Amino acid sequence: MPEGVGESAAGRWRRKLLDLLGRNLSVVVLALLCLISSVATWREQNPITSRSGGAVARQVLEACQTTCSVLVVARDTEADRVFAQAIEQGLDSAGARIAGRVFGQPRDVRLEVERIAAAGGSLDAIATHRIASEWGPVRTAGVPVFSPGSYHWPTFLTARNLLNVVNQNADIAIIALGMTLVILTAGIDLSVGSLLALAGVIAAVAAQEWFGGAAASPVGLLAAMLLGVGAAALGGLLSGTMVTAFRVPPFVATLGLMMLARGLALILAVGHQRRLVGGGAEGTPEAVRVDAAAFAWLGNGAVLGVPNPIVLMLVLFVAAHLLMTRTMFGRYVYAVGGNVEAARLSGVPVTAVLLAVYCLCGAFAGLAGIVDASRFEGGRPNAGELYELQVIAAVVVGGASLAGGRGRIAGTLIGAMIIAVIQNGLNIAGVASYEQKVVFGALILAAVLLDRLQPRLRRFRRKSL
Amino acid sequence: MKRALAGTVAVAFGCALGACAGGTDGGESGSIARGTIGYSAMTLKNPFFKIVADSLTAEAERHGFDVVVTDAERDVNRQSQQVDNFLASGVAAIVLNPVDRIAIGPAVRRANEAGVPVFTSDLQAVAEGVEIAGHVGTDNYQGGLLAGEAMIEALGEAGGEVLVLHFKQANSCVLRVDGFRHAIAEYNRDRTEGRIEIVAELEGGGLRDEGYRAMADGIQAYPDLAGVFAINDPSALGARTALEQAGRADQVRIVGFDGEIAGREAIRDGKIYADPIQYPDRMGVMTVQNIVSYLDGEDFERVHLIPTELYRQADAEQDPTLD
Repeated sequence: MPEGVGESAAGRWRRKLLDLLGRNLSVVVLALLCLISSVATWREQNPITSRSGGAVARQVLEACQTTCSVLVVARDTEADRVFAQAIEQGLDSAGARIAGRVFGQPRDVRLEVERIAAAGGSLDAIATHRIASEWGPVRTAGVPVFSPGSYHWPTFLTARNLLNVVNQNADIAIIALGMTLVILTAGIDLSVGSLLALAGVIAAVAAQEWFGGAAASPVGLLAAMLLGVGAAALGGLLSGTMVTAFRVPPFVATLGLMMLARGLALILAVGHQRRLVGGGAEGTPEAVRVDAAAFAWLGNGAVLGVPNPIVLMLVLFVAAHLLMTRTMFGRYVYAVGGNVEAARLSGVPVTAVLLAVYCLCGAFAGLAGIVDASRFEGGRPNAGELYELQVIAAVVVGGASLAGGRGRIAGTLIGAMIIAVIQNGLNIAGVASYEQKVVFGALILAAVLLDRLQPRLRRFRRKSL
Repeated sequence: MKRALAGTVAVAFGCALGACAGGTDGGESGSIARGTIGYSAMTLKNPFFKIVADSLTAEAERHGFDVVVTDAERDVNRQSQQVDNFLASGVAAIVLNPVDRIAIGPAVRRANEAGVPVFTSDLQAVAEGVEIAGHVGTDNYQGGLLAGEAMIEALGEAGGEVLVLHFKQANSCVLRVDGFRHAIAEYNRDRTEGRIEIVAELEGGGLRDEGYRAMADGIQAYPDLAGVFAINDPSALGARTALEQAGRADQVRIVGFDGEIAGREAIRDGKIYADPIQYPDRMGVMTVQNIVSYLDGEDFERVHLIPTELYRQADAEQDPTLD
């Protein structure tokens, strides 16, 4: 029976809605999680802005007109300075007297109050924000304290936190791209966490020892980073060779590489530390510090207020999406994952495709390693431990099938964000990491279960319609 | 069906959030006057940091603060994410046991830029350009000297071969071994008979199982061992198990470090000769006192190192906390 015939308008809408929900389940889950996180982090917010500064100035003027002399207190941060400036402008324009201003710590307030008293000056009020109004010297100054009113809003839904959520998980999302390709070919790559560490350590050691250390030029730093990514890509190529030429199961091949790469990263880092202290004592497996300040730009800089790791992640996602949907290569990957024999018979260069896929996965892990090293201003041999599991979780939750052939890049992005929001929501709400593990485990099981139930669900829906 | 699954996931998530509202995050009501302190422990699997967390929480609540305790699980990436989350939720102060004294730098700098004071305990951060409002830790070098004295005492005039079970990743342990080596070198000076030779440093991971494996290998490689210095109690206890299994427990004397309950019990039972003991409870309390002093604008000691004290069998027999 053709759909929609003899159906009521309400029924048709319901069916459409159900269909939409079914097809975009991961988006629905993500939205739901954001909603829950918002409710759970509904907290008092204390604004430190130009507007709240103006409001404080008006409060002060209302209380004592223009006759009083005011101490303006703020911390030594950008936002605080904007806030304090707005207070001063408000007071100035009304002709109130400013007895003094503090940009610093509680101790500075105490010294300023003492200075005003010693100079015989009068002090009638303190204008500050909510946080500093709790400082000892402000509370004990013996004059009225004015601060902006607070309001309630989910901490989860603040710009700072949302950027945090994505930024903290940009590396996971970047690796998940490569992992999606591998999983599409019905493979798996356990070595990504170790390759991340290896790439970071190689880049850091190269920047320090070959490209000039603190005096390294941007070109030298770029070369060091490319060296790291190249090494990780080479690692991926090695897995690919094991899988294609020797028919080693991907699980085993990448498990071997996982330990190999981790060991190499540790050896390189310890060797570097030993050279640092002059060769005598044995080194320690601490981070290999990079002295060139420009090295930190990729991980800690921002473009138009958006942290660089997020920008890199978005660019890579668009590129990967185009690669998988618009090119011959993308179709080959799906074909290999769907049915290797059929693909081989229809002329798909299976070996080359598999090699390329593992190589790309390694390169993405290497890129994430560069981001990590830049973020921590040094290559950490212990970086990325257990990342492989988080990455696989992101891909699976994003709807890719571990049996291969089915999955989308956009799904992986959503999957990575679901993991990110769960982690952040639970963190901000103060849930211990032990409970987080339980939630993650349950989520992965639910996603895999859904994958298993898919054919049965489809039959069920057809019957019910 | 699909919606049911989505619902299940959401409910599981909601439950976890709900669990926290009753637990760690009980002070959310806003009744607490002085704000929240965010604490990121190196690893709560080590009882040492659990004691720091508990004493810090108790003292902070006494002063009207709310405390959020998080576990970095020895991962500096997780720790710096925890710092970012503290900043996003607007805490009054942050307390850290830096997992990596260099790589934690950028996160501390972000806290500095946000005007939120950072206090450290146990390990000190050494990254460049970071501002630490206050530090409370153990004087690990002095502890290492005491461990050396204990070893000299344990071996007596005979001297002998000594093995070190190390955990190089932690700078605190590097300082302990430096102190230990210094004490032994002083003892050996001008001495031709009864010298103490440090024959090897093995990686004991600071954990019971790794300490056990390292010691088992060490017995094979150095059959004439007379003593072992393990940089903390878990690895000392692992070493003891390996020695007992090899039937060499009477021949090799162990000096540990920390003074955890399990370590002190072993000292009472004569299984470990002595420990320089640390005071994690004082670390938590003094850190909170530093925070209070900071917020009250008072001057305080920016770096405070608590000396260790040697704890022998005689001390254990009079220890009221052991039963």
